[in-house]
Amino acid sequence: MKTIEQLRSSPWTAWLALLLIALIVPLVLGGYLITILTIVCIYAIACIGINLLFGYTGLLSVGHSAFLGIGAYAFGLIAIRFGLGFWPSFCASIIISGIAGFLIGIPALRLKGHYFVLVTLAFAVIINIIMMAWIELTGGAAGLAGAPRPDPIPLPWGDVIRFQSPLSMYYFILFFLVIIFVVSYRLINSLVGKTFIAIRDDENLTQSLGINTMSNKLVSFTISAIIAGIAGALFASYNTVISPDSASFMKGVEIVAYLIIGGAGTLAGPLVGPLIMIAIPEMLQMVPEIRQLLFGIILVLFIIFLPKGIAGEVSFLTSRIKSQPRNV
Amino acid sequence: MASNEQDLARPPLFINKTVDTVFSVIEFGQYLINGISQGCLYCLLASGLTLMLGILGVPNFAHGNLYMLGAYIAFYVVAFFNMSYWLSIVIAAIILGVLGLIIYRLIFYPMRNGPHANLFVAAIALLMILESAALLWFGGETKWLILPYSNDVIRFGGMSLGVQRLIIILATLMVMLGLELFIKKTTVGAALEATAQNREGAMLCGIKVTQIAAMAFAIGTALAGVAGVLIAPAVMILPSMGLGPLLVAFSAVIVGGMGSIRGAVVGAFILALVESLTSGYISATYSLVFVFAAMILMLLIRPSGLFGKEL
Repeated sequence: MKTIEQLRSSPWTAWLALLLIALIVPLVLGGYLITILTIVCIYAIACIGINLLFGYTGLLSVGHSAFLGIGAYAFGLIAIRFGLGFWPSFCASIIISGIAGFLIGIPALRLKGHYFVLVTLAFAVIINIIMMAWIELTGGAAGLAGAPRPDPIPLPWGDVIRFQSPLSMYYFILFFLVIIFVVSYRLINSLVGKTFIAIRDDENLTQSLGINTMSNKLVSFTISAIIAGIAGALFASYNTVISPDSASFMKGVEIVAYLIIGGAGTLAGPLVGPLIMIAIPEMLQMVPEIRQLLFGIILVLFIIFLPKGIAGEVSFLTSRIKSQPRNV
Repeated sequence: MASNEQDLARPPLFINKTVDTVFSVIEFGQYLINGISQGCLYCLLASGLTLMLGILGVPNFAHGNLYMLGAYIAFYVVAFFNMSYWLSIVIAAIILGVLGLIIYRLIFYPMRNGPHANLFVAAIALLMILESAALLWFGGETKWLILPYSNDVIRFGGMSLGVQRLIIILATLMVMLGLELFIKKTTVGAALEATAQNREGAMLCGIKVTQIAAMAFAIGTALAGVAGVLIAPAVMILPSMGLGPLLVAFSAVIVGGMGSIRGAVVGAFILALVESLTSGYISATYSLVFVFAAMILMLLIRPSGLFGKEL
């Protein structure tokens, strides 16, 4: 009886149930839903990166579209121009987006508040202009075609997993989402993560305890850039065509918006936000302008009335409900 | 057509320079003139932005969209209602001032005590709302506002300046002079400046800070509207036309120091010259990259900007 009680209250049960739903639902329903859920997973990965930076370290960056773009283009260019396979290009794109994050982070993190946000935005616009204008390298506005799908994985009993169907790509990207989710969970609960939270809550106080806030912020920025780069490379592999459009600065804004609606600084926020804000408009087949209009209005309403986001408000409510009988 | 004028104001995309090309004073002078007329536009936008930042702490990311609305107002007033272009300046200032009050009351007033990130995201949400509303309302196709003198160009010593560009320069001088007089000579203006310098101190002196903030927001949006009307005859009118000027004007505010009108004016001209000279001598495609590079360099050398308070 006690074990069942423990199992029921353990958060991991809920997460495993969620994973099971994510595994089964596309298999059963299939079709267009798989495409939507794949996009949701890619954005959820990018949101986890922004969540580390904004939700836990308190640094708002609206320029992470730059790292989405760097990851995607690094992956695509290395795979196409050098003819390397999926995995070498993928690893290289992760390293390159990490280096880019590190190099951009050093000057940007010297600034605070609005100044920091604007510099991240400026970098995103610069990167996007380069993607558009350096036609010999990036193919300009037409984009870059032919990014590879993952290499087939041979199984010990002779079968081979291929990544040609949408469903297999969905599972491939979901696999990365789960790994990055677990890594970010472990990170947040480590000493480094606690330092991030301390910086978010009071940077001066953290510094007064002898913690080097600059290097910690740089670590947070670089990790979030790497995660965004992974999302970009996965998108490139999924879509096989990379265009500057997929890294326009509005994409960076959208990631932040998904996170705020889902709940910044919560574990579930980066999953809930993209799921609701991408899946619902897609299923209703909204006109892009109307979608953007509603998106803006919903975002404003959330900031004014529910600043904790969906996940934040739900956990706040459940903790109040749970705490009442225990007090008796 | 208006496109002629634009070609003159905007240097060609790539200028083929051979090794034996000597430095041309006329070419340089032309880029300076282009920079100054473009700087006037940035000046109107940046001074509104810096007022909002200094008094409310709002980084109004939708400023470019308010400027776009100003241009559409000019288009509809002149082309649809056959009214005078000069009247459209007043109409745009009034409509956008009122719109500014509504935006302030509905969006920025409720979150005035929240963290700065919220203000930023709300401003971006406002950008999304205004841009998509404009797309739905006005349509995505390009509109041209053609005035009787749209083709006219003043030439002197090999350099040229479109008449509309001259109007922009003169009108900006008048508006900025009016703003300066308003802030320095009237009581309300003094209250505005006091609030920007020290919010708590202003409250203690009995200044109604919320009203001053609403007024500052309305002045900023009205200035954006005026800028939009002024540029309307010289460019393509599109729902997305505001983004480029917004980014430069924002950089100008940072270069000048947030909250300082003088700084915004100086920053606007510095960046406009950077833009016109780099697009003339290096590449028009990358001119925004140079503008941002100048801004980032400035921030690293002097993080509080030219005229900003020491951090």
